[in-house]
Amino acid sequence: MARRFVQTNSISEMEGLKLLNTQRMNRPVSPHLDIYQPQVTWVLSGLHRITGVAVAGVFYVGALTYLLHPIYPAIDSAHLIEAVHNLPVWFKTSAKVAFALPLTFHSFNGIRHLMWDTGKGLTMKGVYASGYAVMAASVISTIYLAFFV
Amino acid sequence: MSFLRTAPAFRAGLGMRTIHTSRVAAVQASKQVRAIAADETAGFKYTAENAILKGTVNDAVAVPTPNKAHGSYHWAFERLVSAAIIPATVAAAVASPTAHPIMDGVLGVTILIHSHIGFSACIDDYVDERKFGALGTACRWLLRVGTAGALVGIYEFNTNDIGLTELCEKVWKA
Repeated sequence: MARRFVQTNSISEMEGLKLLNTQRMNRPVSPHLDIYQPQVTWVLSGLHRITGVAVAGVFYVGALTYLLHPIYPAIDSAHLIEAVHNLPVWFKTSAKVAFALPLTFHSFNGIRHLMWDTGKGLTMKGVYASGYAVMAASVISTIYLAFFV
Repeated sequence: MSFLRTAPAFRAGLGMRTIHTSRVAAVQASKQVRAIAADETAGFKYTAENAILKGTVNDAVAVPTPNKAHGSYHWAFERLVSAAIIPATVAAAVASPTAHPIMDGVLGVTILIHSHIGFSACIDDYVDERKFGALGTACRWLLRVGTAGALVGIYEFNTNDIGLTELCEKVWKA
């Protein structure tokens, strides 16, 4: 008589679901972004969100800080302009680069997104061409804003 | 007569095969009455760290009811706000901010709405209520309170102080 090495157990549907969920708990998390080769497509996409959050964060913090003006009258434009005026030039220029680069990048890349939304430039070549154009425009406009304005 | 012999196969390839009713009947007979609710998790909790889903492998994930306010209208509104920032910025930069405070206010409010939508998208992606529960709801309310407060701040700064455009110009050239 042949001997069987495989056994089957009859379990209830609820026990089956429990077993399934036990296995689901052991599932690995899908690979994260850092396993992918950096490419213009997804790197610029990620930077678009990061720069947007950064600029919007500064905007929110600024607007919310002004709510304290009735309590601390020193929180106003005159004091801020005075404080910035007294900063060393190297610091002002660095801060301008740090602020202008995310802002100009997000603006130019935003225009790129609006172009895509009209259905234009949605080829591999088009995406790369507009990507490099956005990078160049951001750097050039940042240099202009930080050093020549 | 080879042509005649290949004909049935040719017809089957075009999807014109006759249905075997006995097969269909067998499938119908094997249908079972549901024993487990579609939202059952057998004591496991659906959290951010695991892959627990509601129901068995045969239960589809609940699809939200289609709603244009959350779909096409919302999408069009987002693009409209994004695109509106371009002329609003140009207009605010060209016109004198002191002479046209409303222009400056429009720019501030447009950027605020755009930012609010952007932050909402981040909550949708990273701390959605479906997975993060109370933390997601808390983030949602923190954003709402923050946006409301920022709106008041923009209004106050525009009416009592020099406004966004002039602030940017003066701080930049300070």
